[in-house]
Amino acid sequence: MAAYQKVTHMLYPDTSVTLALFANVESCKNLRKCVMEGTVEAALLKTAMIVDSFQVLVAANKAIHLYHTKSMMTKNVHSEILYCLSPSKNISESFRSFGAADGETSVFVAIVNDAEDRTLKKVTNILGREPDSLDLTSTLSDKKLIAKTYRLTDDELSTFSLLDTLVSRVAAKEIITAGKGQS
Amino acid sequence: MESRKLLKQGAEAKLYLHDFYGRPCIIKERFQKQYRHHTLDSMLTNQRIKSEVRANLRCRMAGILTPTIFMVNFQDNSIYMEEIQDPITAKQYITDMSAQGDSSSLLMLAEVIGQTLSKMHAGNIIHGDLTTSNMLLQGNPSNLRLFLIDFGLSSFEASAEDKGVDLYVLERAFLSSHPNSQELFNTILNSYQAATKNIKSCKEIIAKLEEVRMRGRKRTMIG
Ligand SMILES: Nc1ncnc2c1ncn2[C@@H]1O[C@H](COP(=O)(O)OP(=O)(O)OP(=O)(O)O)[C@@H](O)[C@H]1O
Ligand SMILES: [Mg+2]
Repeated sequence: MAAYQKVTHMLYPDTSVTLALFANVESCKNLRKCVMEGTVEAALLKTAMIVDSFQVLVAANKAIHLYHTKSMMTKNVHSEILYCLSPSKNISESFRSFGAADGETSVFVAIVNDAEDRTLKKVTNILGREPDSLDLTSTLSDKKLIAKTYRLTDDELSTFSLLDTLVSRVAAKEIITAGKGQS
Repeated sequence: MESRKLLKQGAEAKLYLHDFYGRPCIIKERFQKQYRHHTLDSMLTNQRIKSEVRANLRCRMAGILTPTIFMVNFQDNSIYMEEIQDPITAKQYITDMSAQGDSSSLLMLAEVIGQTLSKMHAGNIIHGDLTTSNMLLQGNPSNLRLFLIDFGLSSFEASAEDKGVDLYVLERAFLSSHPNSQELFNTILNSYQAATKNIKSCKEIIAKLEEVRMRGRKRTMIG
């Protein structure tokens, strides 16, 4: 399992996040069930919405910071990663747009504080696959859907890389979507 | 964080160089002013950070270059953003090109500044602190990339008055940073007008600029 990435948080050296991509699986059904039941603690992300592992890292970095400063909007750090990735203020809509669904054949997994990679090993067992190279992330993304979901402007898309656009959007979410109705 | 390197100590903010998971990063940390009321001060600081990040993103949506935002930390009032590589401030650039007598490079810069500010105002973004230090340049003279930074005093206004004042703030800063450069500033204004599609609103903005100039002159005559 050389493909995944384990990164220490820049502000909290005791906290890490593991990022892993499973590019070709039969389904996400069993894995999702384990997460619902709480036997696996991880964020299961829809690969269509991810252009680069750095996008997830920015969301995880933020979620962990919000966890440590007791300012999360959702109930745990893994659901907070999903919420941070999403441009929506609506929690269930965020889960729907950014969470992997049962029938999907790929999944991007983010795990906070995975001691001795135990959770990643569980995930690997459940999926019956080893993680793939994170470099494959962009090949699985749906750029049209991403542009629509984040409401990216043409000016923005022609001026910046898609990744940098999303990074700014994730980092500034609560500031740019302050009031309902204004955007 | 030990790996922070102090880059600049300003009146309201400290800038550090850092690394954000492998990307060159600048941390802009606003600090408390000792003489100001504490609660009021943290409200103001919070407001500045929000204004800065909001206008940065609104500019991007309008196709204006700004540093990518990596993180906002309300705990210590800091913004983590992309470090623009090998930048030169417009201020330094104008000083250098003037010293070299390179007027064609100066004209090309004035064009870019005018176009960028026109785009910004078309998006109803008021910068609030337009100076040549708050414009970072990259690239070669005929293909300059202009980044706008330092949006702490920004706001969103559609009125010709606010846009005219924004230009006036720049004019004042421009003429004090770059003596004998009224002509160059006029080139910026011409390029601003040429780039602004809404001709009626553009005329109003320039009229407001002239009005504010007059007020400014009267004030200096009396004071
Ligand atoms: N993202 C960046 N990349 C590279 N250099 C930067 C960046 N942000 C700021 N700088 C450098 O630091 C200087 C000061 O930055 P900035 O204008 O944001 O702060 P400031 O003027 O101290 O803020 P304030 O006006 O609130 O006092 C800039 O003129 C520029 O040289
Ligand atoms: Mg400045």
